[in-house]
Amino acid sequence: MTDSFVFGEALVLGLSSGPACLASCGPVLVPSLLAEQSGMRLGARYLSTFLGARFLGYLLFAAVAWELGVLVALPPAPRLLLIGIIHVLLAGVLLWYAYSLGHPHVHSCPVSELVTIGVERKRGISGPAALGFLTGLSLCPPFVIAGVRAAQLHSVAAAILFFALFFVGTTVWFLPLVSLGCVRRNEAVTTVARMAMVLIAVYYFFLGSAMLMGRNVYGH
Amino acid sequence: MKIRAKLGYTAAGLTVLTAVLVPFLLSGLFTKGFAALGLHVDEVYSGGPKVRTVKTADYFIDVHRPVSPHMLQSEKPFVQLDWRPASALPGQVSDAVDIDGDGQPDIRVSFDVPKDVKIPLRVNVEALNPQYEAMRNVGQERFSKLIVRVDDAILVRIPQVH
Amino acid sequence: MATEARILPPREIAPRSIVRSALLTLPIMLWSLLIFSNSYQQPNPSVLLAGIITPVFMTALFFMMMRTSSTYRWRRWFFVSLGLLFPVGFIHQVMVMRGSMGIPMEEMIAGRTPFCFLPMPLLILPAALTKTVVFPGSILPGGGMSGGGMAAMAGLWLAITIVVGKGWCSYACFFGGIEEGMASVPRRAKLWKIDPRWRYGPWAILLAMVLLSLALFEPAYCMWLCPFKAVSEYVAAHNTVGMVQNGIFVVLFAGLVIVLPLLTKKRTQCAFFCPFGAFQSIFNKTSVFDVKIDRARCSSCTLCQTACPTMSLTKESIAQGMTLMSCMKCGACVDVCPKHAAVWHIKGTEVAVKPERARLMLLYAAWGMAIMFGGTIVAEGLATILHVFV
Repeated sequence: MTDSFVFGEALVLGLSSGPACLASCGPVLVPSLLAEQSGMRLGARYLSTFLGARFLGYLLFAAVAWELGVLVALPPAPRLLLIGIIHVLLAGVLLWYAYSLGHPHVHSCPVSELVTIGVERKRGISGPAALGFLTGLSLCPPFVIAGVRAAQLHSVAAAILFFALFFVGTTVWFLPLVSLGCVRRNEAVTTVARMAMVLIAVYYFFLGSAMLMGRNVYGH
Repeated sequence: MKIRAKLGYTAAGLTVLTAVLVPFLLSGLFTKGFAALGLHVDEVYSGGPKVRTVKTADYFIDVHRPVSPHMLQSEKPFVQLDWRPASALPGQVSDAVDIDGDGQPDIRVSFDVPKDVKIPLRVNVEALNPQYEAMRNVGQERFSKLIVRVDDAILVRIPQVH
Repeated sequence: MATEARILPPREIAPRSIVRSALLTLPIMLWSLLIFSNSYQQPNPSVLLAGIITPVFMTALFFMMMRTSSTYRWRRWFFVSLGLLFPVGFIHQVMVMRGSMGIPMEEMIAGRTPFCFLPMPLLILPAALTKTVVFPGSILPGGGMSGGGMAAMAGLWLAITIVVGKGWCSYACFFGGIEEGMASVPRRAKLWKIDPRWRYGPWAILLAMVLLSLALFEPAYCMWLCPFKAVSEYVAAHNTVGMVQNGIFVVLFAGLVIVLPLLTKKRTQCAFFCPFGAFQSIFNKTSVFDVKIDRARCSSCTLCQTACPTMSLTKESIAQGMTLMSCMKCGACVDVCPKHAAVWHIKGTEVAVKPERARLMLLYAAWGMAIMFGGTIVAEGLATILHVFV
């Protein structure tokens, strides 16, 4: 099986998984995108930061897991624990981000229009970057499928390249979200977005806590 | 009267007319329209379409098409089997079932059929084919792993191993 | 904009004569008889009796609307009755059919979960993308509690929405009457100051629930947030998570539907929570009827703002002579305005020119829908109660 065939497979897998990735990231991405200031340029910057950080999360996990050889063999219990921790962190970041958006005079960077988390810009973490990184680590099913396939490759470089192409395939589906930058921002839109972020954060916190306690949230 | 006002009153009059037509025409029309959209209830709930029926001496076993949940759903892929009619089942059922139609039994399903329909059912599944998950004393755990009585049939859902 | 010096005197509204009121009520009476004609062939005396009482009730209320030129308090009688009698009939039915308000898994698998209109906005995206309805019901009648099936409820919803827009929340919703009743109990509100940003709550919940429903392929609102599970049915809890879910429903019901309406005299669940209400607000753009403020008569007393159960009037909107998108056409502001500046209106026409004509046309349409949909639910609940005695 030639390399080009394998990497073509990565791209196609990404394209076919894209809707699922979009649906999975949607609860985090859409409200936070809407809560930012309007403008296509700003929306594109937000999205590229989010996706870039998500990509880093993918690659980091892929490289570590490939090296440790655990990606395929990760048993359900530790996987549940890992996902639980990530969900709780994601909830915390969403809540803090929603709070920061309401207090821009404290947190906004004078140079960048993106609202940062943290008091000073140098020590601050970009909100979309934090959210993107955590969603990248969240082991959603398309990611796991790509991971299983990548783990079969001959080197960590090949695995990383596989993930990169998979990521490009999924990213195509995210591009239309840039158009959310065109939505006029007023008090209604930003308040709705922040409230939605809080609600989703509460849900992720509950889900993550239940996973940490080893509880099966779904199923009757 | 200005044209806009005329249009407004016309629209209002049509709205009243529409209200009159709702129970006699529109509601049924829209119902048929929605039904014709070709939507179907998520197979995680409905169990998927029946693909084969296995006949035994006293009853039938319906084999459904395996259900693959949508990528982000938390349920596992599963296959549903129906034993019917429940009234014709013996007190203890133990059947080896060929799910994929290759002539080889894939699982052995065992459960008791209490006379009192209110008593909860429990099922044991022995996986003869490693594609399927073994189950021990399972009741109604989740949509992809259960045994239930629905009308005059007993349904068993067996998860497939990823 | 009118200045203080140019404010016109209150509009003169004389009560209609009894004869004229009766003539205007006649179409509604005939409509009621037609809608309930099936009841008169029923051998069951409680059904027959309910089929007589309900149209008389609805006709009498309409007559009073015509006689007094007041809409809100008479509509409220119907709406509160609907809110109280729906659970009576529904819970009785589930108890008879399956002995419990909890939905067992076998009912969900058999597609016999009754379909309520509340999750409809959440099901649109999964259905559009995969042709899958992520609700354990039946598209067509599936027996048991599935009633007419999901297609029938969707068809009915669409038809009624075309007619009344967000007036659904005042004339059709079989849940809203409970909190409207609670809100009308105290003479005065005990909680006056409500941050107006809470009005965005329904939109936030709609956004969050739509995204989560698409991500998880399940009706997230029904699974986690619906307060009305407390008075209809819920998924039978088999584990801790199920118990948490049911606990959430009870707490939300107690808070949003009972306690807060008593304290604020507002329909708090509708105004600050219901995602279906937010979705239905979109159809106010397509509805031909609305409420306007005649700036030439308005004295900015803000009584309308206080009276509005969903905070759909603000100082800014009153200054612009209009209500917000969340207006559910209940008539509270129109009835309370001392200058009769808040008026019913048909889009395209001049404000305050023959507002009674607009009101009449709206009421014929909306009350017709109320009798057809809510009236039959009222009759079912009434028949359930009468069955104990008759």
